[in-house]
Amino acid sequence: MLNFKINSDEIDKIGSFSKEEKNFRLKNLDYFNDIGFPNKKNEDWKFSDLKAIVSENFSKLDIQFSKSKKQKVDFIKDFEHNYIVIVNGELTISDFKYEEKSNIILKSFSNDNYSNKKESNPLINLNHALSNKGFFLEVKENYKFKKILVIYYLFTEDLDENILNSKNKIKIGKNSELHLLDYLVNDSKKNFFNNVHEDIILENSAVLKNIYLQNNKSSGYFHKYSRNKLFTGSNYSYFIFPAGLKFNKLDLEFDLEGERSECNLQSASFLDNNEHQEIKTRVNHFVPNCKSHQKVKNVLNAESKGVYQGKIFVKDVAQKTDAYQLSKAILLSERSEFDSKPELEIYADDVRCSHGSTSGNLDKDSIYYLMTRGLSQKESTKLLVNGFLNEIADSIKSNSIRNFIKNKLETQLLNEYKKH
Amino acid sequence: MLEIKNLKASINNKDILKGFSLKILPGEVHAIMGPNGSGKSTLANVLSGKEGYKISGDLIYQGNRLDEISIDERAQKGIFLAFQYPTEIPGVNTSNFLRTSLNKVRKAQGKKELDALSFLKIVKEKSKELGMDEKMLSRQLNVGFSGGEKKKNEILQMKILDPNLIILDETDSGLDIDALKTVAEGVNSSRDSKKSFLVITHYQRLLNFIKPDFVHILSDGKIIKSGTKELAIELEKTGYKGIN
Repeated sequence: MLNFKINSDEIDKIGSFSKEEKNFRLKNLDYFNDIGFPNKKNEDWKFSDLKAIVSENFSKLDIQFSKSKKQKVDFIKDFEHNYIVIVNGELTISDFKYEEKSNIILKSFSNDNYSNKKESNPLINLNHALSNKGFFLEVKENYKFKKILVIYYLFTEDLDENILNSKNKIKIGKNSELHLLDYLVNDSKKNFFNNVHEDIILENSAVLKNIYLQNNKSSGYFHKYSRNKLFTGSNYSYFIFPAGLKFNKLDLEFDLEGERSECNLQSASFLDNNEHQEIKTRVNHFVPNCKSHQKVKNVLNAESKGVYQGKIFVKDVAQKTDAYQLSKAILLSERSEFDSKPELEIYADDVRCSHGSTSGNLDKDSIYYLMTRGLSQKESTKLLVNGFLNEIADSIKSNSIRNFIKNKLETQLLNEYKKH
Repeated sequence: MLEIKNLKASINNKDILKGFSLKILPGEVHAIMGPNGSGKSTLANVLSGKEGYKISGDLIYQGNRLDEISIDERAQKGIFLAFQYPTEIPGVNTSNFLRTSLNKVRKAQGKKELDALSFLKIVKEKSKELGMDEKMLSRQLNVGFSGGEKKKNEILQMKILDPNLIILDETDSGLDIDALKTVAEGVNSSRDSKKSFLVITHYQRLLNFIKPDFVHILSDGKIIKSGTKELAIELEKTGYKGIN
């Protein structure tokens, strides 16, 4: 097995840092090297043995990556939008043509928090040690974006067994509102690993609507850790539409820090071949009167594997919490696998918390019914799968954006069906 | 149109149909009546091609052996089953489903597929005839439909697909008298010299509205008596126990 221990020289190669920052990076590198890529012995990774996956698919992981040539962007034409373009994790161009620019700050990310600890997820330590790219976006107080902001995350063709570490931070000021589309477009042909650390802060009464869409399948191995803080009266809704990757783990943490804050997460995935995807959520209800809702839908074909680990934590003071979690999976193949681990940890006594998890085959009676109307077994399956997954996209309010997403998802599914 | 000879069907080693024979000519309406457990629904399922049954005997539809034809091809060749309990299918839009279904059947029959606009025209016209609320078409297929709405939706599909052999499985169950009249009217207006109907029912009530040419009594997997519509009236008086 390959040794993925990373030499401390690598940090010098990334750049020159203040003593404080360098120590922070070295310390984090030590934490990572202690464990390396997590394997299934680690409880949080028991369904996703990353060590095995990386060992099987990578002969090396290059930290250094020379800047790519200028990347052409296929801008979305379906609706008017502001944009930011991120190439291999690095902030390049942006345009806020529909907005009052004085209300927006956008710059390359620079870290100023050097408090370090051994994280339960070693990839966070790895990110702290090596991250050298990313952006910081702030929407100042009392400003509502007029049009959606699309962040194009492009991955270039010349990536080849690289590991990219980037950090992004988004802060939405008091009473402000942002609608965001994270749009991932991947041109890479060779394997690479993308390790992202994301911080999102919603100040009092801030609103964030965020859609995460992977445009296409690729040879990317993705890991994202996202920490989201919601203050009083803020509202975060998050839609996740992954394309299905060889490895894709979204480790999402939501801290409800202010009363009457709300967080709503929904995802729809179709996984195929030997794709592996894990969505892990942890929602922390720290204060009373907050709402959280997760709905995770997966369809699994061939030898794909899907995982949902969802934890809801309710602190003793967090009375009147309203928390709901639902995971639904359809397995189209006997070789596919879905693992679900719901967890409720509740210390308050006046709360409404529930969770549900179902997985199974497509309903035989539904297939029979559709076939008696002239649809083949395959067409019936397709219709039922689309219906199952479409429910998530259907709850996007904007017509033009919903249609854009649905068209993308339909194209992805069509490509899947063509293969089988 | 349809010839069934000595049909035997069993499921999980339980014999349900035990030598069922019937011949239906184009334009004829046959009613099958029988008590619970006599094999009525099994007959409908077997004709539609539902899996899980062990079958012997001859099933000939328009000169072809049905056992060699898959469920969807049977539909494409003009066999239509109106379900006793239409399946609720979440996430599938009723109108999209109807169009997909119609175009599949049209394509198989060598006809041109319909675009959204011409389809909408047809579906609006037909649903109006059945007194259906247009809004139903934009809802999820059968989800949250009332009993009457589900049955009307079956008849709507029948009208749109324009099949040759129509099997109505207990279409009257769960309908109030007004809905029953509408559904029966939907069937009657579709009758012509080329279409054949097999009306499966427990009660004679439906046959007051859909007048059959022949009535057959099914008991323990076999036809025990055949006659004209008077047989149904007699049955109503005597009950199933009174027949032979």
